[in-house]
Amino acid sequence: MPTSPTNYWPRAIIHIDMNAFFAAVEQRDFPELRDRPIGVTNGEAGTTLITCSYEARAFGVKTGMRLYEARRLCPDIVQRPARPRVYAAVSTRIMRALVDLSPDIEVFSVDEAFIDVTHCQRLHGSPPHMAHMARALVQRASNGLPCSIGVAGTKLSAKVASELKKPNGLTVVPPWETRAWLHDLPMEKICGIGPHIAEFLTRLGARTCGDVAALPLNVLVRRYGVVGKHLWLACQGLDTDPVVTEVGSPKSVGHGKVLPPRTTARRTIETYLRHMSEKVAARLRRYGLQTGRLYVGLRYTQGYAEAAFEVPYGPPDGKRFFECARRLLDGQWQGQAVTQVQVTATHIKDLNGQLDLFPADAAGSPGDSAELRRVRRALAIDRINARFGEFTLAPAELLGRSAMPNVIAPAWRPDGMRQHIPD
Amino acid sequence: MRIQIQREDLLKPLSLVGGAAERRQTLPILSNVLLRMSDAGLVLTGTDLEVEVVAKTNQTKGEAGEMTLPARKLLEICRALPAQATLDIKQEKDKATLKSGRSRFSLMTLPAGDFPSIETAQWEQTLTLEQKPLKTLLEKTQFCMAQQDVRYYLNGMLFDLSGKQLRAVATDGHRMAVSETTLPTPIDSTRQLIVPRKGIQEMIRFLGDEKVEVQLQINPNHIRLNLADLTFTCKLIDGRYPDYTKVIPSGQRTLLRIGREELRGTLNRVAILSNEKFRGVRLSLKTGSMNIVAHNPEHEEAQEELTVDYKGEDLEIGFNANYIMDAVSALESDDIEFGLSDANSSCTLHSPGDTSHQYVVMPMRL
Repeated sequence: MPTSPTNYWPRAIIHIDMNAFFAAVEQRDFPELRDRPIGVTNGEAGTTLITCSYEARAFGVKTGMRLYEARRLCPDIVQRPARPRVYAAVSTRIMRALVDLSPDIEVFSVDEAFIDVTHCQRLHGSPPHMAHMARALVQRASNGLPCSIGVAGTKLSAKVASELKKPNGLTVVPPWETRAWLHDLPMEKICGIGPHIAEFLTRLGARTCGDVAALPLNVLVRRYGVVGKHLWLACQGLDTDPVVTEVGSPKSVGHGKVLPPRTTARRTIETYLRHMSEKVAARLRRYGLQTGRLYVGLRYTQGYAEAAFEVPYGPPDGKRFFECARRLLDGQWQGQAVTQVQVTATHIKDLNGQLDLFPADAAGSPGDSAELRRVRRALAIDRINARFGEFTLAPAELLGRSAMPNVIAPAWRPDGMRQHIPD
Repeated sequence: MRIQIQREDLLKPLSLVGGAAERRQTLPILSNVLLRMSDAGLVLTGTDLEVEVVAKTNQTKGEAGEMTLPARKLLEICRALPAQATLDIKQEKDKATLKSGRSRFSLMTLPAGDFPSIETAQWEQTLTLEQKPLKTLLEKTQFCMAQQDVRYYLNGMLFDLSGKQLRAVATDGHRMAVSETTLPTPIDSTRQLIVPRKGIQEMIRFLGDEKVEVQLQINPNHIRLNLADLTFTCKLIDGRYPDYTKVIPSGQRTLLRIGREELRGTLNRVAILSNEKFRGVRLSLKTGSMNIVAHNPEHEEAQEELTVDYKGEDLEIGFNANYIMDAVSALESDDIEFGLSDANSSCTLHSPGDTSHQYVVMPMRL
């Protein structure tokens, strides 16, 4: 059904948003959960809902709520531990299927994607028609999971459109109607206007996208720079963000974890830090990377402590990373309760076997057999863990660690090192 | 302020100064060049607060005074004007007019009083040497400097002074260049300083091949290079350079003498099929021969054999071909000496019997 030149869209973007994705996968795989309110948590011990089914939402339960709050609103809610590998696999299948519509696809997160269909109008037909095709592809690839679709002339408008009707909605906003359509929508609908910016704009008397567009551009630029300009344009449906199909190579590799409430025991904090250090090192090794700088952070109930450590390039070593974390504990921690730890490697380079002239410590020269043994040992452990599961073989210090299920990071992508979700 | 000057008389000092002017515009005035006119002539200054270039020209007529003009635009205008054109630059309030022939340009100026200058402490040491050996010293080592390395002290060049000797050292942590030259007059102490990358690159631009002397002035925070019509000042990197003497192998087990062009040609050909990113090549030594092999991820292979005077056990060692080629290209003798010990230790490259320019390269595990 080729489109006639009169309704040809100068730019056409489809945004696909899987509805209550993790919960929907659970309900699909376990028929006894269908039509019941369910909440998905990180592992059995998780206390925060990472998502919940529409049946639970009807009671006012929301993503991000604590489980006990959800139970107060909806006593029958069923808790399900997340199965990140399954979700990632389903997502990968959906994203691969969507390529049939157009190769210009940006996987925005595990349950969201933008597709630029500008150049497929002659081939497939009008953008609204392609939205129906997209839904059919998603349903076939996922065995009928629900998704909301927005079709518009820009990425941000398409995202706003897909938000409007859930679940299984379709909202079409032709480019020539975008401005008028946005005019009366609350400005918070625009992805990028968070509570902070919204407060600033409210003080200026703006409530809708139309109000924001009516403000002088200057006001936003002076306060928020290019971001301000971008949002101002977005409120009129004029943002020009391209659909980015290339997944950039990682700038950092990090792992963080929330600790049990009121953790003050150094031993426990160290275990968490060691765990994160080993995870970062193993992940760097798995993807053949090395790091030049390690960031370590501790979050307290109030405030935080952080430090960056220069680490010598070379095969990543969790024990060395942990020593940096310990230096932060020694130097800055004064016994406060730690709520969260973070270990992040930055200044990432490919690990290519190039030996260093100035190795880590004065004692170990690169040709040194102890250094060589250490590298070989780490690689052997990695191979064992790749086969039998993450941390099958781990430092003894980690024996006492609590169960810490892995989660899907916002940076997850179906290919390359970003697909990483260890068992 | 008003000046009249021939295009060519302005172009030379302006292009010297223009390189120092900031392009990233952290402070708007840093992208400007300062023009100061006095009885002694016209003086141009450009700075990014890390380096400062002051260039003189005395072929000017005009009234004394000072003003600042956008460096890049002024340079581009100068370049684009016809040869031998006369420029007439005049400041009026916050604008300057540049007239030449039938062209007229109105340029934005910023107050000359706001133009920053690098404050330098008392100079503690002064060296005088010919331009040519200093230029050679920098050219033979500069390509080994690190670029945006977290080890910030490697993003520059070490000057190691002791007695009659000036050594320049550059390394990115994988390979290292060490060059030395003799000073006409010895200094009575030792001193180490690290000159940032940009400073070295600018110095190479300013130095000529003539037998004219150049003066270097040093204090703990700055280095200054004085030439007849130019003064270049550069902030030093505050850091501790690694002990480079420790990583120069004292004695290599094997010392091979290889034709320089032969080795360069071979590496050049073989490296075509190495991994484009890592550039790894494998050297296999057997009695009488060196076999150089490269593979890439597409499983293509390149191989070439060189005849060498190798005696001893078979040895296999991997290198980044670019590191070896850079060193081989920088050396000038017909033959080079290639020193090796084992697969995990560094190799050395220099001219036979001459270590005034030497290169140390760490291997790769392939």
